[in-house]
Amino acid sequence: MRSSRALMRRGHFLLSRSHFLLSRGAAFSLTVGVVTMLINSGCESSSRFPEAALRLPESSLAIRSEQSRMFAASSETEILGASVAVLQDMEFNLDEMSGPLGVLSASKVVDADSTAEKTGLLMIDVLCTLGGSGNCAALSSASDEQKILLTLVVLPSLSRAGDYTARVTIQRVVFDKESRVKVSEQIDDPAVYQEIFANLAKSIALQEMQ
Amino acid sequence: MKSLSSALLATTLLIFAGCAANLQGPDVIGAGSQLEIRQMQTREYDTLDKRMTLRAVISTLQDLGFTIDRADLQIGSVTGTRLSAYTMRITVTVREKGDHQIAVRANARIDEDTVDDPKTYQDFFVALDKAMFLVLQKVD
Repeated sequence: MRSSRALMRRGHFLLSRSHFLLSRGAAFSLTVGVVTMLINSGCESSSRFPEAALRLPESSLAIRSEQSRMFAASSETEILGASVAVLQDMEFNLDEMSGPLGVLSASKVVDADSTAEKTGLLMIDVLCTLGGSGNCAALSSASDEQKILLTLVVLPSLSRAGDYTARVTIQRVVFDKESRVKVSEQIDDPAVYQEIFANLAKSIALQEMQ
Repeated sequence: MKSLSSALLATTLLIFAGCAANLQGPDVIGAGSQLEIRQMQTREYDTLDKRMTLRAVISTLQDLGFTIDRADLQIGSVTGTRLSAYTMRITVTVREKGDHQIAVRANARIDEDTVDDPKTYQDFFVALDKAMFLVLQKVD
């Protein structure tokens, strides 16, 4: 009876010891794993360049066509002057101008505030507060202002004298109420480009009349 | 066990301290072999028309979705920016090389990182090749 109790105690001890050994092994493995992961995440550069960052998209011809328009004008100076006037009409400031290369770079900062967006975010904040959370700041992510960058390039036609190709590219950055970048994107709405070219046609006509 | 854990903790802290020290440098000079970088970023074209080459460069950048920040015929440089999920900036320089060639060099950055992937520059020059062909053939 005593020997059987002694055997049980010894068995329990062995079980406990093996459990302890297992825990120690697991803890060691876990520590090594965590350290390795930390080393990898700490020193390794996380940046991998997006594939095809400078590869022509398949739609490049269609995009080029949408962003370009041919105009007839009496001189390069005249069409460049008309282009500058159009940019001023659209309330842009000229940032850079290269006459010999026909490049006009302009930008403007305008309101991006949207009542519909703010209402939606306000509702989220209300629900969040009712839910008992103390950190409800969805409204701070509402759009506040946007910077629009525009490049207009005017080049004389290589095949027809007196014709000029105008090409426009537009991008914008939208900032939220905390001045954080919310959206960075190219503007690819064909209607925007059509309206700019319609304005440029009018501007060239006005310039010629003067 | 306790000493082992302490050693691991100390090692981890030292490694991170090392990483932090590396990040503090101003990195003005950049990394990589000067010659390798130049080779990767440069291509020669059989023309001497600097203006036409710059025109092809601008057209290519617009095809790739960039807006032009600066363009200078005399210096022979164009800088553009593209905004998307990341911000990409590129500067392309054009200079005469020898009696009958133009050398075009592009260097790009994505956010805080310099682009050192040769494939990316190859893609750029494939796009520029097409634009150069059209310009030199006088096709609008």
